[in-house]
Amino acid sequence: MHPLLVHLPIGLMVLLALLEWMSRWPRFKQANAGVGVILLVTVPAAVLTALFGWMLSRGGGYDASLLDLHLYTGIATAAICLLGGLFYAVGMKKFYRLSVFTGLLALVVASHYGGSLTHGNGYLTQYLPQPFRGMFGGGSAAKSGVAGAGTVSFNPETTPAFQVAAKPVLDKYCVGCHGPEKSKGELRLDGPEQIAKGGTSGPAVVAGAVVQSLLAKRMHLPSTMDEHMPPDGKPQPTRDEVALLEWWISSGADAGKTVAALKPPQNITDLINKRFGKIEAAPKIALPSLDAIQPLVEKLSADLKIAIRPMSEKDSWLQCNASIAGATFGDEQLGLLAPLQNHIRRLDLGGTKVTDAGLAKVAGMSNLEQLHLEKTAVTDAGLAQLKGLGELEYLNLYGTVVGDAGLEHLKSMPALRRVFLWQTHVTGPAAAAFLEARTDKDQIKTWKDEIEALEAKIRGQQVTVDLGLAVSNTPPADCTVAVNTLCPVSCKPVNPSKTVVHEGKTVAFCCDDCKAQFQKDPKPFLARLAPAADSKVAVNTLCPVSCKPVNPSKTVVHEGKTVAFCCDDCKAQFQKDPKPFLARLAPPAASAKGTPINKTCPFSDKPVNPEKTVECSGKLIGFCCDDCKAKFEKDPTAALAKLGLTGAKP
Amino acid sequence: MEPLKQYLEQQTRRAFFRRTGLAAGRIALASMMLPGVARSMAQGRSTQPYPTLPGLPHFAPKARRLIYLFMNGAPSQIDLWDHKPALANLFDSDLPDSIRNGQRLTTMTSGQKRFPIAPSIYKFAPHGRCGTLVSELLPHTAQIVDDLAVVRTMYTEAINHDPASTYILTGNQVPGKPSIGAWLSYGLGSDAENLPAFVVMTPRWSAKRDAQALYQRLWGSGFLPSRYQGVALRSAGDPVLFLNNPDGVDPSTRRAMLDGLSAMNQEAFERSGDPEIQTRIAQYEMAFRMQTSIPELTNISSEPKSVLDLYGPEVTQPGTFAASALLARRLVERGTRVVQILHREWDHHGDLPRDLPLQCRDIDQACKGLILDLKQRGLLDDTLVVWGGEFGRTVYCQGELSRTNYGRDHHPRCFTMWMAGAGIKPGTVYGETDDFSYNIVRDPVHIRDLNATILHLMGIDHKRLSFSFQGLDQRLTGIEESKLVKGILS
Repeated sequence: MHPLLVHLPIGLMVLLALLEWMSRWPRFKQANAGVGVILLVTVPAAVLTALFGWMLSRGGGYDASLLDLHLYTGIATAAICLLGGLFYAVGMKKFYRLSVFTGLLALVVASHYGGSLTHGNGYLTQYLPQPFRGMFGGGSAAKSGVAGAGTVSFNPETTPAFQVAAKPVLDKYCVGCHGPEKSKGELRLDGPEQIAKGGTSGPAVVAGAVVQSLLAKRMHLPSTMDEHMPPDGKPQPTRDEVALLEWWISSGADAGKTVAALKPPQNITDLINKRFGKIEAAPKIALPSLDAIQPLVEKLSADLKIAIRPMSEKDSWLQCNASIAGATFGDEQLGLLAPLQNHIRRLDLGGTKVTDAGLAKVAGMSNLEQLHLEKTAVTDAGLAQLKGLGELEYLNLYGTVVGDAGLEHLKSMPALRRVFLWQTHVTGPAAAAFLEARTDKDQIKTWKDEIEALEAKIRGQQVTVDLGLAVSNTPPADCTVAVNTLCPVSCKPVNPSKTVVHEGKTVAFCCDDCKAQFQKDPKPFLARLAPAADSKVAVNTLCPVSCKPVNPSKTVVHEGKTVAFCCDDCKAQFQKDPKPFLARLAPPAASAKGTPINKTCPFSDKPVNPEKTVECSGKLIGFCCDDCKAKFEKDPTAALAKLGLTGAKP
Repeated sequence: MEPLKQYLEQQTRRAFFRRTGLAAGRIALASMMLPGVARSMAQGRSTQPYPTLPGLPHFAPKARRLIYLFMNGAPSQIDLWDHKPALANLFDSDLPDSIRNGQRLTTMTSGQKRFPIAPSIYKFAPHGRCGTLVSELLPHTAQIVDDLAVVRTMYTEAINHDPASTYILTGNQVPGKPSIGAWLSYGLGSDAENLPAFVVMTPRWSAKRDAQALYQRLWGSGFLPSRYQGVALRSAGDPVLFLNNPDGVDPSTRRAMLDGLSAMNQEAFERSGDPEIQTRIAQYEMAFRMQTSIPELTNISSEPKSVLDLYGPEVTQPGTFAASALLARRLVERGTRVVQILHREWDHHGDLPRDLPLQCRDIDQACKGLILDLKQRGLLDDTLVVWGGEFGRTVYCQGELSRTNYGRDHHPRCFTMWMAGAGIKPGTVYGETDDFSYNIVRDPVHIRDLNATILHLMGIDHKRLSFSFQGLDQRLTGIEESKLVKGILS
């Protein structure tokens, strides 16, 4: 009641003072004629206000010293007001006038303390520009409790998460009522300890559990409920701010842990970076925001009957679907999109009347990532114009007259990954050549080597504990020759050291995972191990093309060996070019030539690949790769010394 | 006083109060319900029938379209996808209590004295380069496993069809929430100017006559503006009823009538501000455009034989799953955002070996055809295809168990779904169930996680697509935590 009533006597007292002051001039002599009525309202209002204020002060939750000051000055003001009313009633005009002006003075002082109580210390100056603050005693921004987002120096390794995720939000919205000066419900939210302590309703947060934390719960209640915080009408935290605060709670509501230690998810990192001004990697091309071109986008969408939509809120890209306009969209309409050309990321021209001439306009869309030209009249010649689209990843050309020559133009496009050529004139060999040209074999080899190196590292970390108790009646698996050359689980060439004895036969696998899968349940894979019905003839049991079990009647004699296939298609593919499949037919190296004497490559110390061997003085030396093997053939001395075979000659 | 004048003055005064009263009410309403109403008003003004919500997509989407193949009634994961060879030796033995672990049962089997294990009678084999195990009931789908991500560890809480279907398709077991298709078309809009943003088909089925009922709420718009509800194409006769002009009404007459109606509706909207009026205007306009777009859509005479052959022999019979699958492709080609096919009668409590093969035959080749057709057109790159039912089926038999015949009850603790296309890691099998396909051993995926993942692939942060209703920022995934299924994302 006090905060509601207080402004009435304040206004009236100022009015009384004004009237008394004006009546000093003859022209306004009558100004104070009717003050009796005003006093009749002012005096009871002032007394009531003081009374309510005293009652409110008993509720607690305010800074004690500040509260005392406000209480006494307030009561003094009301008392002076009452006195003034009495003087007026008994006709002592001189004393009345005196009490009006002293009352005004007391009022100013009392109101200032009242303001400090409700709005926090420094409420007068906190939004003043810095130069003016000095005039009021030099209160700085930090002191007045304004959230300093953007000004805090932030380093994820050293800054506590509380300081970046929770404190700015709490300071901005909560600490005004739940702080050191005023703590409604005995709750203070100005520090992690105070938050943990909580107020009359219990602790404000439950570490790690957002749903159970009052702090979060209260923010999510409908704003119409009394329990909703911050109270209806006060500034409300934004979604992002709530997300930050909740992340701090869910990560344990810890006081000291740094941002980096809590490993925030990407969206939180983004929010923190946004608020604390960490500069993200600059976009390749600075594009104006979509807002600027929105009217144009709307106009073009409506005029051309096409759909132009933003790719996402995070960037300024557009996706443009003209295929819905069909035959009414052609080169001329495409030209109208020129002002948007740098924004367009996906362009769908499928089934439109666009021709080669239109592709010149597409060529100007330098940021294009996905382009649909299916079922259009574009030709080989037109595709040459697209060469400059350095970011194009996807190109759909199905149902066009494009042929091998057109595909040739696309070979040099650096980002192109997916090309669709169904129902075109492109031939198989041309497609294969394109694939060949566009596959970066060196890069793939580098990555594969990296994977191999990492796998070696994992093997190096493996711990074995051998109690030496297991007695096995079957011979060690690596002594016997595996019955298969391809892993029955993955169909990759086997690693002769990963074997399992199954029903008396040694079965080899490519890796431990496949081995484990087989051991768990061999049934589904047994079909792949079964010898072909006429095993005397064919050297293989699995089709080298499809990895399915072979049909013994579909065979081909290749280099004196009979090779079987699952179907005529695979057979034909093999006959056309057997090379890619020969590896799958080779018997395991170990059984062919014997086992190399060394387990690790003398050059790289990587595990030996049993297929890469060189015979040297009757001994088989293994290497990890062809490069090392070649190195050895060039100059064997160092490697032989390392293997303790100094005298041997290759 | 002149009676007419008096009458007019009274009218004016009344009209004045009515207008001012409404205006005041409107302001109050708008301030209470912002941003919902203001947003729908803004949408109502846009020239596009289905505009994109401001701020969406949240990030560049992998998928632009969704085709959701919903097998209503719950297909048996044990007989189709989740191979459990160890069960062969446990025929007719009791399900261990340690496995059932107090699971709530439906009233259909809660009275059973024992729960005998019914191993699947169907053979499984590894397929494709990835070696995913698939039942012999799905020989065609088996050929495309290298394109699929099979999730074997879906789970839900609901145990009966109605709440479970409502749960997976609208995110809540309690009716009244918008379906996933409605959320997507509300958030992302649709490129299609002449077709609805969200189309539903309910093809016929081959197994026994009676099947679980479908409810419109499975594709409804809940509290979202009603223009976002799915438009169901009928499976027999005209795909959309009363679309054609009545006899003796030519298109220009129809147009003039619609223009007049629209003007009146617009006036009513100016007075009351009810967004549903805008929806009504939009629906009339859409229906008018659909007079030409629907016949064009359903006329498949332009499809070459090679394409029709992909979907199987039934593709030319309207109302079959195959025909619906082909229409789904034709719809997404024309810009429709979400197509949902709800195929019924997968609820095999008894005589599973009689009914399940018939059901599989309905959908098997068409699923393959759809994927291959999308693929050759370059559409699979930004179309997401989802297959699955509302829950799984029990390992134990419901009713009589024999070597050749058995039935299975509802099972919410694990079931299998597959996804293919945009942003999906092809040739993946995700998650592992125990030896009884009863409990999840590794990588559980709640249906909320699935919905969050679908939204993610469409460029939406599921936590941020919300609509203020009944004092809550409502969203498809509800208020509980959901996580993305990262293991199936490419």
